[in-house]
Amino acid sequence: MRILLALDESARAVDEAVKLAAERGSGLTALFVQDTTWHDYLGSDWLSGSNARGGYIEWAAEHDMREAAGLPELLREKTRGIDFELKVASGRVPEEILKELASGAYDLLVMAQPFRRGLEVLRDTAAGLIPKLPCSLYLVREQKD
Amino acid sequence: MEERGFLGKLAAIVPGLAMMVVTLYLLKQVVEPWLAGVAVFGQKGYITKSIGLNYVLMSILVGMAYRNLLFRGSIPGWAAEGFRTTRLFIKTGVIMLGSLYTIQSLAKVGGLAIALIVAFVFGTIFFVMWMGKKLGMDRSMVGVMGAACGVCGVSAAIATSPGVKAKPAEVALAIATILGFGIMSMFITPPIGRALGLSDYQFGAWVGTGILNSGQVLATCLSFNPAIAPGTAVAYGEIWNVVRVISIPFVVFFITLWYWRGEAQEEHMSLWGILKSKFPIFVLGFFGMTALSSFDMLGKEGSETLHMLRDWMAWIFGIGMVGLGAYIDFGEIKKAGGAPLKIGVAAGTLKLVLSLVIILLFIGKEASF
Repeated sequence: MRILLALDESARAVDEAVKLAAERGSGLTALFVQDTTWHDYLGSDWLSGSNARGGYIEWAAEHDMREAAGLPELLREKTRGIDFELKVASGRVPEEILKELASGAYDLLVMAQPFRRGLEVLRDTAAGLIPKLPCSLYLVREQKD
Repeated sequence: MEERGFLGKLAAIVPGLAMMVVTLYLLKQVVEPWLAGVAVFGQKGYITKSIGLNYVLMSILVGMAYRNLLFRGSIPGWAAEGFRTTRLFIKTGVIMLGSLYTIQSLAKVGGLAIALIVAFVFGTIFFVMWMGKKLGMDRSMVGVMGAACGVCGVSAAIATSPGVKAKPAEVALAIATILGFGIMSMFITPPIGRALGLSDYQFGAWVGTGILNSGQVLATCLSFNPAIAPGTAVAYGEIWNVVRVISIPFVVFFITLWYWRGEAQEEHMSLWGILKSKFPIFVLGFFGMTALSSFDMLGKEGSETLHMLRDWMAWIFGIGMVGLGAYIDFGEIKKAGGAPLKIGVAAGTLKLVLSLVIILLFIGKEASF
């Protein structure tokens, strides 16, 4: 069975997942989800024109992609000797994590708490996932700013 | 993703929109008249007039209850498209509001509005820059908070963020702060205005200057006095709102310039480019309606056309207010914190209090409208 690591800004969560995978001798999949929920979040903003709103949503998506660009190299470096793969998805973060877990290939999910990726900083990602999880969960505590 | 045709898109809007319309109908036509007849402390109309629990405030409250209680934090797929029309309703309403003015009346009150807005917008931006430096905050976040606190909350924050390279996660926290403060202002300012005996003119000028988010200025004015006619709170508040909206591209230019002057690497930008991409075009519709009204093309004051137009506006804004409430997610707002929260609360409180003091000291009860 494999470990699924939900990626956010946390380096600690990555280190913990890599450590666990090495100790257990299991494979590790890192999932990077590009948050696409800005469109809904800005729904109440009646003032800005579609250019300004669209410009921002584009900027947020580009920012996520730039963050993802350096990940493969960084993660491969950290996961030497471990069966590792990186997956990229886009959508609402908890939904994409659950979709990946639904494959049945995982027995453990590792993620940071609080989870910092796009609009998830405003949501309790882990609390929303817990009732629906088909596997165990390891939350890596992050210091608040 | 599955592509829908025009009819499919229209059908997707119906359930959510129907929910907003039915909600407003019940609140406006059934609940408010009933509440107006209930006697409290031996006084009929105490709830709707003295407490101010009119259909506008109830629409926002019910919208909030839908989002946070009924929908448990997120608008479900079947209603999402309908609720998304909120933006369209409020924008249409604001364009129609242009009919409350004439070019002459705008010229009379507009000068004061411009002076107050320019002073408060740039005063707030400088305050945020100063406080951000004191707190050791990231420059890009100072830029976003400066725009958000200075001009019009969410719109200004998203217009500025790409230019100052703000991280989306931090923009989300900044927006949560602004919305949280705006919601609080939306509920506390009408009772304060009534307690201080502010006129519609004074109240409109106060909240138009002092409240951070423009959507909430509109909601607050309508909550203070739901009447839509020349000389009401919404008529005055909206002049301030429109001046703020027009200032967005200039503020974005100023803040982006400030940001890049402090960075080693410079980025090319032009005011014209920012104006083209950030200018809210619907404002032209607002002025178009003012022009029609100035030449009596919508009928004289008291005409059937104007009466009908104002009646429509009440319904259009009412539907928009249900939607506005439904986009308020307490779970998300609760997550606001850190330096953006400190700056937002400090700048927001200062702006609200200082603008009230100026209104009380220098603005008379009646405008020469």
